[in-house]
Amino acid sequence: MGKRRKERALGRLPGRVLLYALLVGYAGAVILPMGWLFYTSLKSNEEIFRSPWALPERPHWENFTYAWGRAHIGDYFANSLAITLVSVALILLVSAMAAYVLARFPFRGNRIIFYAFLAGLMVPMQLALVPLFFLVNSMRLLDTYTGVILVYIAYSLPFTIFVLAGFFRTLPHELAEAALIDGCTPSQAFWRVMLPIAKPGLVTAAIFNFLGIWNEYLFALVLISTESLRTLPLGLANLLMVTHYESNWGGLFAGLVIVMLPTLLAYALLQGQLTKGITAGALKG
Amino acid sequence: MRHGERRMVVLFLLPACLLYGVLFIYPVLSSLVFSLYEWDGFSQQRRYIGLGNFTRLLADPMFWTGLQHNLFLLAVPTVIVLVAALFFAAVLTGRLRGARFFRVVYFFPNIMSMVAITLLWFFIYNPNFGLLDGLLGAVTGSKVSTVWLDPNHIMGSLVAPIVWCSLGFYLVLFLAGMESIPTTYYDAARVDGANAWQQFRSITVPLMWDIITMAVVFLVIGGLRIFDLIFVMALGYPNEQSQVISTYLYEQAFNNANMGYGLAIAVVLFVLVFAATAIAMRLMRREQMEY
Repeated sequence: MGKRRKERALGRLPGRVLLYALLVGYAGAVILPMGWLFYTSLKSNEEIFRSPWALPERPHWENFTYAWGRAHIGDYFANSLAITLVSVALILLVSAMAAYVLARFPFRGNRIIFYAFLAGLMVPMQLALVPLFFLVNSMRLLDTYTGVILVYIAYSLPFTIFVLAGFFRTLPHELAEAALIDGCTPSQAFWRVMLPIAKPGLVTAAIFNFLGIWNEYLFALVLISTESLRTLPLGLANLLMVTHYESNWGGLFAGLVIVMLPTLLAYALLQGQLTKGITAGALKG
Repeated sequence: MRHGERRMVVLFLLPACLLYGVLFIYPVLSSLVFSLYEWDGFSQQRRYIGLGNFTRLLADPMFWTGLQHNLFLLAVPTVIVLVAALFFAAVLTGRLRGARFFRVVYFFPNIMSMVAITLLWFFIYNPNFGLLDGLLGAVTGSKVSTVWLDPNHIMGSLVAPIVWCSLGFYLVLFLAGMESIPTTYYDAARVDGANAWQQFRSITVPLMWDIITMAVVFLVIGGLRIFDLIFVMALGYPNEQSQVISTYLYEQAFNNANMGYGLAIAVVLFVLVFAATAIAMRLMRREQMEY
């Protein structure tokens, strides 16, 4: 692609200043609320109401102990982590197996099955919500980890199979052939040779599924009602509704900070992967 | 097929097909079927009423209010996000100091959960201690306590968090598109004396048309499906000030035990998503460009 277009960039000085003002302005719109959120989470309730700007006189760490303990954000955190990790692992396993055979074996019905999965990308999940509630209930899985996890797997399949099948198609045929010649069965060729090379595709799929499930709200709202099983989004939304009556706002601010910190951390580590994933998707699309 | 392959195909497809069939396809199909019934969800009795739920829906003012809100929340943020993301992408492909920093910052809200974003904006809009009134107060020098989530302001106030949480994704998408355009095109245009705007209009936009179309489709679908922001902002009970189709669906099905009616709303939502996608693709169709 050669060198970037340099001189095209930004014209003369007044234009440059205006551009930077806009860029910095929007960056402020992202950063300012975060910074404000962080220091407000250390203010007492009374300080919060006295002035939206003033810094706390002393840091009120008790907001955090309240949010983590009394408001159970710590428990919700553990629930979310368990549900998300198990779901993502199973999604990758189930999708990789299906995507592999769909991408590489031209059996009868292959295209129909592939398109049936693909069609799922078009369906808003609200369409399945109500029957799903009764179905999960009749399986006696309402209000269980298993129920939510199975539902998360099912609704991640279209996207994950789509991504992974695309990936498996690009891998050279000869690799699997060579494994077969060396005496592997077709499924050994998959587990020992093809799956390990598919790692970049699996990582991308894992990151996007992790984010999606970690942040998911509607299914969790319908499928989980016991307080001790709540995920983070459920727990946070509930804390807002409770705070409206109990008004420990400092605690709510702290709860939101607790929710955001790991997201920020993960972002610092993974943002390159994320943008690469979107970029790859955009150019293929 | 080779020996052992048939067995493998079946075994490898089985878990995915089973989960997908039982937990995805079956509920979707039963939604379509039971939207034709009157059913409270808890008793065994279901009464077939044909299109009854749908005719009732067409006469339901709350449905039309919700639909209007959806249309507003898909139109306004779509335009703002498209213009802003294209603008920022065009600026950031140039050799600009700090381009990476801006991209990283702008993208961050995209990975936050919608519930967290809603809560953050709930704080920002609070009339007693909110950031926005605080800012306006600091600028004007007098105390401002606008209630941004009251009936007069709420729809406008919902636009900002939607733009805030999606802009970064489209920025990255457009950056990818712009960086794949060969620089020689711009060199040639410059030789012909085209300025930045002309280059943008006659090179960048046409060559990125497919990606822009994809962005419009995503944004429109997002505006129709929207749930978390509205539901949480209204503390679980949106009224006619902010009701949208999917919150109304939830209210009818799970609060009012009108399952059949809720399903009809879900089916309409599905049809709208489909129709909107088709319309957007149709309106934006033009000759494929190769480069």
